[in-house]
Amino acid sequence: MISSINPTIKAGAILVPGVLLGLMFDIFTPLVYLIFIIVVTFAFTDISLKRWLLIFSPFVLFILSFSWTRMLYTSESFQGGSILFEFWYFQMTTEALMVSISLALRSLCFIALSLLFILTTDSTKLMLSLMQQLKLPPKITYGVLAGYRFLPTFRHELEILRQAHRIRGVGRAKGIKGRVQQFKRYSIPLLANAIRKAERVANAMESKGFTGDRNRTHYHEMKVRRRDWVFFGSMVGALFLTVFMSYYFGYLNIFGREIN
Amino acid sequence: MKEMTQLKPLIEVNQFSFDYEQLNEPLISEVSFTINKDETVLLMGSSGSGKSTISLCLNGLYPDAVEGVASGDIFFKGINIKDFEKGELNQNVGIVFQDPESQFCMITVENELAFTLENIETPREEIEPKIDQVLKTIGMVDYKYHNIHELSGGQKQKVALASVLLLDPELIILDEPTANLDPVSSIEFINLIKGLKQETQKSIFIIEHKADDWLDFTDRVLVLNKQGQLIANDTPRSLFTTNKPLVENEGLFIPKTYQKQTLKPQNEGTSKPVEANMVINNLSFNRKKTMILNNINMTLNKGEMVAIVGENGAGKSTLLQLMAGILKPKKGNITFLGEPMQKWKEQKLRQHMGFVFQNPEHQFITDTAYDEVSFGMTLNGYSEDVIKERTEQLLHNFQLSAHKWSNPFALSGGQKRRLSVATMLDETPDLLLFDEPTFGQDAQTTNELMSIVKDLQTKGTTIFL
Repeated sequence: MISSINPTIKAGAILVPGVLLGLMFDIFTPLVYLIFIIVVTFAFTDISLKRWLLIFSPFVLFILSFSWTRMLYTSESFQGGSILFEFWYFQMTTEALMVSISLALRSLCFIALSLLFILTTDSTKLMLSLMQQLKLPPKITYGVLAGYRFLPTFRHELEILRQAHRIRGVGRAKGIKGRVQQFKRYSIPLLANAIRKAERVANAMESKGFTGDRNRTHYHEMKVRRRDWVFFGSMVGALFLTVFMSYYFGYLNIFGREIN
Repeated sequence: MKEMTQLKPLIEVNQFSFDYEQLNEPLISEVSFTINKDETVLLMGSSGSGKSTISLCLNGLYPDAVEGVASGDIFFKGINIKDFEKGELNQNVGIVFQDPESQFCMITVENELAFTLENIETPREEIEPKIDQVLKTIGMVDYKYHNIHELSGGQKQKVALASVLLLDPELIILDEPTANLDPVSSIEFINLIKGLKQETQKSIFIIEHKADDWLDFTDRVLVLNKQGQLIANDTPRSLFTTNKPLVENEGLFIPKTYQKQTLKPQNEGTSKPVEANMVINNLSFNRKKTMILNNINMTLNKGEMVAIVGENGAGKSTLLQLMAGILKPKKGNITFLGEPMQKWKEQKLRQHMGFVFQNPEHQFITDTAYDEVSFGMTLNGYSEDVIKERTEQLLHNFQLSAHKWSNPFALSGGQKRRLSVATMLDETPDLLLFDEPTFGQDAQTTNELMSIVKDLQTKGTTIFL
């Protein structure tokens, strides 16, 4: 299962194909890879289809509208090919259409890759792995973890603040000026409390013998095992295979240059 | 001479002063005391007297961590604490802090305890057995994999104590560990400490403003006054009998065992015509699937003071929120002054009802105490003269005139509390709701608040807390 892959290696296995995909301007490569990612997502994780679609679909809408404008405003270099239709003073060419479809597919790949990472990674393990594999200083690691703990408290406090202000007779903010003022009213007590709490946590951490020193033992040892590298290899390998296929079929286009 | 060596102090504080800025009027002023091995010492002092600061000085965090200034010396087993490596002293002096919410940095109990052991470089194989061992000591074996933020306050404090025990310190400092706990959890925590004390013979330094529950195993009591000077260092018996006025002057609670029974039952049946203020019928409320309030029926009469008691998480706050109309009941209904709650207009309702929150800061919306009090009246469209007069009057009644133009956030704890009540009194409300108003307050603030509340009650306001 992907949730048990070492988080640092997993991040690499997501980032490397992500960056390389950014160079592929054809349609075939991202389309095939997107299908691959989706297959991996449902074959090797226990993310439910419903949950995945719930997060994925808003991005699809966003990307569709984004690529539509991209299609209308393609730069000169992609304006080649036959004209599909003309509308007012916009010209739609086949090449512009290809480029924007490719862009949309690449964006969807990034999102599918990110979801594959986010939905299978435990934040505590990620931070511990970054500290143990990438030598991130413990000061930053435990600082981030302590901050992460605050999120639920923060939400709870905002809720109480809303009620308290309602009791005082301050209604919901109207207009931009009202909103700015409301933001100010909420932020001061929230900040005052956050600073106080942060200081207390820092004191408590130091009182428990935390010095930020790298010399510490690790209860959860984040090991890099062979299967982590297998995962990395297959994610990157699959991309190269896809690229090779699209080269073989003559679709490959790297950075706007057709390679045959 | 032999006795001297036997009672070699674990901690010796010598003419120690500390302040966050400069030493002219220090927060802690030339304090000297000792803590011996196997001794339990209790430090009392009113809010803002620098009690908590002392604990952080004792384990060497202050003055470095806050760039404060200090003079005088603190010795741990005869060695000046300045000569300890960073992090070394912390292993010998462990602290359990007051606020259960903000002393953890990990999400689960297991990881939090592991964090402490990792800090002191415990070999990995030994970590798990030690965690299991300490969970057994505090009686929370079943909670190993639980998320800390889902535990109750009392359980959180026990986890905090467990982390400290893992350091195996020679001195344990407890900085008002029960101030935010309900009475049942408090007693449970104190009994846990008592048991530990009998088993392990560690020295314990307790910081508290309410000494009652700790007394039966306290050897000595220190008292810090508002100027940060140590004014008493005595056995509990002699302090609370012969030196009693000293303690009372500082506005501290005298333990009940040493109080003369002056509390005679008040309210000897003031037979007024009874008028219903609020009637609650078959009220139920649930969040998702957990039932919080189940079928509640009660009537509050005019001029009545009603207190609701229950453990943390029993649903007290929820009930208050329903009564204030901030939450809508899932079942049943509430009638206020003869009209059902749903029919009340928001603004009208707020004029007839006040609600004082647990944390006064949450209620502040303006930049000065004056604006804070006058805010409601401005909103209700009073004429400027009336506003001015009433505001001045209220500030005067609540002893806040001197701080009229101070920022509400800059006031002391007691002043904030008084101000938050004052803001609710622009008109004499018919019903005043309090959500745990005396949490973590010292005796003086609590007494002041109670007299204000009693005064309001005689004017016919119904009080619910």
